[in-house]
Amino acid sequence: MSEHVTLTLRSPLEESVSLESVVPDRFATSNEIEIARLPVWAGRSQRAIGDYFDVRGERSAIVRIGGDVRHAHGIGAGMTSGAIEVLGSIGNDTGVGMAGGAIHVRGDAGHRIGAGLPGASRGMIGGEIVVDGSVGDDAGTRMRRGLMFVGGNTGNSPARDIIAGTVLVMGRVGGEPALGSKRGTLVAAGEIDVPVTYRHACRYRPPHVRLALTYLMRRFGTSVDARVVTGTYDRYCGDAGTVSRGEILRWSHE
Amino acid sequence: MHVNGVLIEDTFAEAFPMRAARIVITAVNERWAREAALKLTGFATSVIACKCEAAIERTVSPSETPDGRPGISALLFAMDAESLGKRLVERIGQTVLTCPTANCFDGLPAEERRLTPGRALRVFGDGFQASKVVGGDRFWRIPVMDGECLIQESFGAAKGIGGGNFLILGADAASTLAAAEAAVEAMSKLAGVILPFPGGVVRSGSKVGSRRYSTVPASTNDAYCPTLRPMTESALPDDVNSVLEIVLDGLDDVSISRAMRAGITAACRPGIRAVSAGNFGGKLGPHHFRLRDVMADAVERRGSP
Repeated sequence: MSEHVTLTLRSPLEESVSLESVVPDRFATSNEIEIARLPVWAGRSQRAIGDYFDVRGERSAIVRIGGDVRHAHGIGAGMTSGAIEVLGSIGNDTGVGMAGGAIHVRGDAGHRIGAGLPGASRGMIGGEIVVDGSVGDDAGTRMRRGLMFVGGNTGNSPARDIIAGTVLVMGRVGGEPALGSKRGTLVAAGEIDVPVTYRHACRYRPPHVRLALTYLMRRFGTSVDARVVTGTYDRYCGDAGTVSRGEILRWSHE
Repeated sequence: MHVNGVLIEDTFAEAFPMRAARIVITAVNERWAREAALKLTGFATSVIACKCEAAIERTVSPSETPDGRPGISALLFAMDAESLGKRLVERIGQTVLTCPTANCFDGLPAEERRLTPGRALRVFGDGFQASKVVGGDRFWRIPVMDGECLIQESFGAAKGIGGGNFLILGADAASTLAAAEAAVEAMSKLAGVILPFPGGVVRSGSKVGSRRYSTVPASTNDAYCPTLRPMTESALPDDVNSVLEIVLDGLDDVSISRAMRAGITAACRPGIRAVSAGNFGGKLGPHHFRLRDVMADAVERRGSP
């Protein structure tokens, strides 16, 4: 058993590959050869992880991915435990349907991070996703539970139809945020256009935001302005089209 | 055995198993965290009448608290897990929930036995409460008039020890009180133990039951009351005119031994004739802290006889 399993990209990906087999749960019970043989889809062709990556380590639920994997999609899909650390940027559908464990992306992430698998009624149902950079569209769609941190900006429709769970965005929040939210929380430290279907409640210091940010800084070493941690937020309740138990918390710069 | 010329009697403190919780209270500043902690641990000197024993353990720096705010940790002991759970609900609900800016966290996350006062207290939110899971732990957000109170759902219930003690036998009241104060100061610096009585000191040491009243569960420890020396089977040497007791509860026997050693060492000062301990002949509890064993390490370091 190794401390962690490291996947190092041999050469830049020239085509999109589906890396849904990269889940710590599987790596925890596999040796180096078995990991290298796990399937990867490139278009309609089935290949293996070992065709693209050098694999080092075995039988560990801690996975490190090195290299530019912006064309690699579905990493961590459905994972239930363990941890994935991506040293660069990553593609679409990262952590879709995940139920536990943690994904830390040092760079940017693509669309639908933490959302649901195709056809699923729910997005991620547990675990933690931390992206130091920015994310694409539809981050956290239909998220049921879990914690997502975005150090940069989001694309459009973050936290759409979020059932519960928390999405924290330090940069600019894309258009139509948290539409259809039932009980979820969207925290915005940067610019955000709060939808008209949200109603202002008050300005206060939400204790759970401070708790979550403090936890993320300690666990993942995320960089967060101290004023965002200790500051006040405007609370908006919505979405009016649902049970309206969701919230958008917009940092007041105080 | 003598420490600083003070006799350490060849006896033992008899302690008993309890269940313990560590409550970490945070607030906007230490003042408000302490206000909540003082109320939470109020009227909790003895399980005999208070249903639990509790006290502030120490100040917790922002770098140690879950939400990065100033905090106070308190230990609360009860006779069993069920009782401990009830006390947590009562006390957190009436003192932390009510205190401006205060939040409440579990200080024993590694304990497998869990109690869920947060789940019980959430209903104060009348349906408006919400929960968040952070780091695998669930926290309840209860709406209150200054915003929200955050209470962790579950708290660890450790196997603790109650009733550790020692008696300071002095020549006069002033020197005995000064010795007790010195002991408390030394013991209060140590984590894992609390001194639940006023200022950490007990003057009304008790024995189990009563000589005269059958319904009384505990009555004065007449053997250590100087005013009763000629009227009862006194345990006091002739030149002892005041006795004070230090009672402590701890998370484990190592913590209690360490605190007793620190306290007794500090109490052995001019005007003190002897240090003894309260026990019930081994009938009360399985934890026996022999004073001379507890002090052996300190004596060895000092090179005393």
